[in-house]
Amino acid sequence: MSGFIECIGVGKTFEGKGGEGKTGRVEALRGINMRCAEGEFVCLLGRSGCGKSTLLQMIAGLERPTAGQIVVAGRELDGPSPSTSIVFQDHGLFPWMTVRAYVEFNLKARGVARVARRTRAEETLTMTSLSEFAGRYPHELSGGMRQRVGIARALTTRPQALLMDEPFGALDAQTRGHLQSELLSIWAVQRTTVLFVTHSIDEAMFLADRILVFTPRPGRLAADVTVALPRPRSPGTPAFAAVADGLRAALGSEGVAA
Amino acid sequence: MPRHAGRLLGLLPILGLIGLWQIAVSAKLYPPVLLPSPAKVAGAFLQWGPMISANAGASVLRVLIGVSLAFAVAVPAGLLIGRYRGLDRLTDWSIQAFRSVPPISLIPLAMLFFGIGDTPAIVLIFVSALWPLLLNTIFGVGGIERTLLKVAASARASELLILRDIILPAALPSIFTGLRLAIGGGWLTVVTAEMIAVKSGLGYMILNAQMTFRTELIFAGIVVIGAIGLLADQSVRQLRARACRWQDGLTSSHG
Repeated sequence: MSGFIECIGVGKTFEGKGGEGKTGRVEALRGINMRCAEGEFVCLLGRSGCGKSTLLQMIAGLERPTAGQIVVAGRELDGPSPSTSIVFQDHGLFPWMTVRAYVEFNLKARGVARVARRTRAEETLTMTSLSEFAGRYPHELSGGMRQRVGIARALTTRPQALLMDEPFGALDAQTRGHLQSELLSIWAVQRTTVLFVTHSIDEAMFLADRILVFTPRPGRLAADVTVALPRPRSPGTPAFAAVADGLRAALGSEGVAA
Repeated sequence: MPRHAGRLLGLLPILGLIGLWQIAVSAKLYPPVLLPSPAKVAGAFLQWGPMISANAGASVLRVLIGVSLAFAVAVPAGLLIGRYRGLDRLTDWSIQAFRSVPPISLIPLAMLFFGIGDTPAIVLIFVSALWPLLLNTIFGVGGIERTLLKVAASARASELLILRDIILPAALPSIFTGLRLAIGGGWLTVVTAEMIAVKSGLGYMILNAQMTFRTELIFAGIVVIGAIGLLADQSVRQLRARACRWQDGLTSSHG
């Protein structure tokens, strides 16, 4: 099986300026080999500093690997691919754009005509329950609502893969839970591939078909865990606990990421 | 306190100053020829109203033209310099060097090159408005959140779209700060330039009033200069509030 997203020996070393006595070279990732099939929901799990976000940014075409290659939709990556869309933790809303204009942005960037843009944006706004907020500005929205707008923008181009960089990391537990469920229902309908970065075992367990566990310094792939539990999953069950224990062990002994 | 009542508080120091002025006149601090009373200055407005407004109009027009030209040059240039590091490296030293030159010190050169009249005045206003607009535009672009540029890059937006839909609006609040400084600077420059290089305008009127010993006209001129300066600043603030309405709630209301 060839993956929709494929990383072959991917590494990333940052050549920083050697300020304040540091050498400046930081190896963020080393020798990452991974595949992600079409329609699969894959979580990249690891503590902060393990390079999981860097890997996602590289798959999004926003950073270049310093070793190896990344293939998306059968093509070696050279900048952002039209088949993927990325959602950021700090949502990246434009403060001067209404929700509608923002959700249309990716289409505008592709030169889609105004009317077609509007129609597609309306569809996406309905799907993400944002229709009634279409005329609002970001400062008039709650944190959860803003991230929903970020997801809507990413969805308008109907990407084959959605890349999500700790999208719910800054939200309170309740809002996060809501958005996780909503993401799963959107995924169930759209059947896009999702690559989702998180540091939370519970979040990864709740969402993913497969969890790739990263360990830091340098970031490496430590485990590839398939989660065969039926959805919706709840943390109470013994099967859930067993997989979670496995992940905890794979993450290593330096404390536990909840 | 109701909003408008609060605003009127700003008139208090001005009224106080007029009061002190009246006291100084009554105490005969200076002979009336040198220090006319507020009433006499008010009379000057009645006596020379059309002449004062014609000169004020000439000054305002020069500032409008000079600042508009500076805006048309500085904002696009600033957006590009802020966007592209190479351009920033190329221009940074020059900008820092040239902006340290007081525009007034260029008056002799401006007169040599452009003679006496509107042209040297407008050129000087242009120069004094250019730097604050340019620097504030560059600064505004520099303050843009990195994630926003990543959103644009991942959408594969063209440079033109990025400049128009992201860089420009992100820099807009800062551009307005630059505009306020530019109009303020331009206004200072026009009055000075008119005292030397032009035969009309408020600066010329004041200097002429001194030579003909009409001190009340000097005072009237100063009052008009201050009033127009205040009016211009308030207009830019209003414009900014309208153009940056999306900023509501992001910043404090003190402009």
